[in-house]
Amino acid sequence: MESKRRTSVAYLLAVAAAILLCGHGLAADDSACLECHGSKGQITDAAGAMDLKLTPERIEQLVRHAPEAGAPHAGIACLDCHPKAGEIPHPAGMLKESPCVTCHEDELKQVNKSTHRDPKGGSDLRAPCWACHRAHDVRAVKDPRSAMSPFNIASRCLNCHEKREYLVGVHGHGVQLGGLDFAATCVSCHGGHDILAPSEAGSRVARRNISFTCGKCHGRVAEAYRKSVHGAALTEQDNADVPTCVDCHEAHGTLDPLLPRFRLGSPEMCGHCHSNKTMMVKYKISTAVYDTYVADFHGTTAELFRAASPNQPLNKAVCYDCHGYHDVESVRTAGDALIKERLLAKCQVCHPNTTVSFLTAWTGHYEPSPSKYPLIYWVKVFYRLVIPGTIGFFLVYIAVDVWGRRRHRRSS
Amino acid sequence: MNPRVDTIRRFTARHIVNHWVMLIAFTGLVITGMPQKFPGEAWAKGIVLIVGGVERVRFVHHLLGTIMALQLVWHVLEGVWLHLVKRLGMPMVPRLADVKDFMQQIKFNIGMEKHPPRMDRYGFAEKLEYLALVWGTAAMVLTGLLLLYPVRWSSLFPGEVILAAKAAHGGEAILAFLSILTWHVYFVHIRHWNTAIFNGKLDAEAYAEEHPAELARLRRGEEAAPRAIETWRIAVFLVVTAATIAGVAALYWWVRDSGATLLTINVPGMS
Repeated sequence: MESKRRTSVAYLLAVAAAILLCGHGLAADDSACLECHGSKGQITDAAGAMDLKLTPERIEQLVRHAPEAGAPHAGIACLDCHPKAGEIPHPAGMLKESPCVTCHEDELKQVNKSTHRDPKGGSDLRAPCWACHRAHDVRAVKDPRSAMSPFNIASRCLNCHEKREYLVGVHGHGVQLGGLDFAATCVSCHGGHDILAPSEAGSRVARRNISFTCGKCHGRVAEAYRKSVHGAALTEQDNADVPTCVDCHEAHGTLDPLLPRFRLGSPEMCGHCHSNKTMMVKYKISTAVYDTYVADFHGTTAELFRAASPNQPLNKAVCYDCHGYHDVESVRTAGDALIKERLLAKCQVCHPNTTVSFLTAWTGHYEPSPSKYPLIYWVKVFYRLVIPGTIGFFLVYIAVDVWGRRRHRRSS
Repeated sequence: MNPRVDTIRRFTARHIVNHWVMLIAFTGLVITGMPQKFPGEAWAKGIVLIVGGVERVRFVHHLLGTIMALQLVWHVLEGVWLHLVKRLGMPMVPRLADVKDFMQQIKFNIGMEKHPPRMDRYGFAEKLEYLALVWGTAAMVLTGLLLLYPVRWSSLFPGEVILAAKAAHGGEAILAFLSILTWHVYFVHIRHWNTAIFNGKLDAEAYAEEHPAELARLRRGEEAAPRAIETWRIAVFLVVTAATIAGVAALYWWVRDSGATLLTINVPGMS
C-alpha cells in the first residue's frame, strides 16, 4: 500500500515536471495531455496511479489523438476547450461553457432557433454541437471520415431519432451501398443547424414545403406534382387530405418506385385514401374505386399475383398506369370525350388492337346499376335470385326426402 | 365386393370415361376458378400459392375449360350418332312422366302416396342434374370464350356484354358448384353410396329401388333389337361432324392472336 502511494506521488511529480519543463504552457502543445490520453495503456496507468476505477469503454473514450495537420481544428489545444485541464487530478466540469461559440457564433445562432434549441431558452441544447459533429475528431465535411460526410451522417442522427428505415430506403441505399454522395441524407431534407420539426410552418418537411424539398433533386417530378389535382389542392387551398410526396413514397423508408413491390402495392396505397368514406364524401369521389378495380381483371390479377410473387414485375395495369402518378388529374376536368380518347390510348399501350367499343368492357369504376351498365346489373340480379332459389329448393327437397325415407324405414 | 350381391351393369366404358373427364375438369375448374372470383380472400391466395402463381392458375383453368368445351362438342356429336344413326332413344330427355314422378316422390315422402314412383333408366333427379350440367357447361363455355378473347369479341358487341359474361360466368360457377355439393352429393353419396359410374355396376337392390321400370324390362329380356344403319344417316352425321370441326377451327382462327392478352410486356419502368 505504502509503495503504491509512493509510486503515485512520483508519477504525479513527473507529470507536473513535464508540464513545467514545457515552458510555453499547454496552449501550444498537447504533448503533456497526450502523455496520459495518448493510448489505452497510458490511461490505465494514470487511472491506476490515481486509484480510479474506469470501465474499458470509458478508457476507450478517453484516448485522444492530436488533430491531423490541415484538419479544421488543428492548432486548437486541449486547454482551449478544457481550460481547467491543467489541474491534476482533473476537477469536475472540465468543459468550458459553449466552447464552440468562440469560432462558430453564426451556426450556434441558427441552432438556437432550431428544434434542437434549449427548450428553456438557455444554452443547454437538445442536441449539442458534438452530438452531431463529434467532440474531438472534427473533420471537414468532404473528408469521408467526417461525422458529417454523407456516408456517416445518418449514424449520428439515428443515435437519437429512430428512423432506421432510412438505411434500407432508396436514399439510404444510394448513399450506403451505391456510394452516391449526392443521394439524400438526413440533412438534405431536414436541414442542418436550422432544422425545424415537420409541424413547424417553416420546416423543410412541413406538408406545404415537402415538394420543394424533394424538388431540389426531383425537380420536374415535383413541379408535375404541384400541378396535379393533389399538389394544386395543397398549394392553393392548404388541403389537409391530399397526399404529399412522402405519403406515397414514405419519408424515410422510401421504396424504389421501379421495384415490383412498389407497383404491386400501389393500388392498396391509393385505396388507402380513396376507400375512406369520410374523406371522399367531401370531394364527391366514389369509394368503390378500389373494390371495383380488384373485382376487374387487372385488379384480380394484381391481387393474386402479389400473393404468390410480390417481387416479380407485373404487366397488368395498376391505378397510375391509367390515372398518371405525379401529374394525376381529376376525371372531371377533361370532359367525357377527351377522357374516352385518352383511355383508349391507355388501353392500346398494352392491347394494340383495341377499338372504342372495348372501352365499355370496363365500367370505369362504376358499380353496375339499372341506369349504369344495366346488362351487368340484371345478370347479377338474376344469379342473386337463381342461386339461393335453386339451392334452397334442392335443400328443401333433400330434407323432405331424408325425412320421408327415415319414416318409411321405421314403419316397414 | 361381396359375390352374393347381385349386380347389374348400368354404365359402359363410354359413360365411365365421360364422367372421369368431367369429374377432373370440373374439380380443377372450381379450384382454379374460385380464387379468380374471390381474389381478396386468404384461401384464394393460398390456392394461388399452391398452384404456383396466378398465371399458372389461369393456364390450368383455360386448359381444363378447353377440355370441357371439347367434351361438350363431343357429347353433342355422340348424341347425334346414337340418336340419328343408331336410332336409339334419348333417355335423358325429360318427359311429362318425370314431373309426375317428382310429384309422386314428394307425396310418398310426406305420406300422401303409398308407393314411390316406378322410375325408368334415368330418374327425375338424374335428368335434372344432366340438364343443369349440359346447360351450365354450355353457358360456361360461351361466357368463358368471351372472357378469353375480350378484344376480339368487342369488335362484335359492346364491351358491356363481356362484363355481363363475366358476371354470368361467376354466378353460373357458384350455382354449379353448390348444385354438385347438394343435389349430386345427396343422391349418389348419401342417399345411396353409388359407384356405378366408376365400375359400371349397381347392386340389384338399389336398382330395384331407383330404376324399377328399367329393371323389370331387363329381367323380362326386352332388349330393343339394334336397328339397321342407313347410309344417309351416316352421311348426315359426317356432315354435321365436319361442320362442327370446321366451326371450332374457324372460331379458333378468328380469335387467335387477337390482342386479347398482352402483345407487349410493357411494364412502366421495367423496360
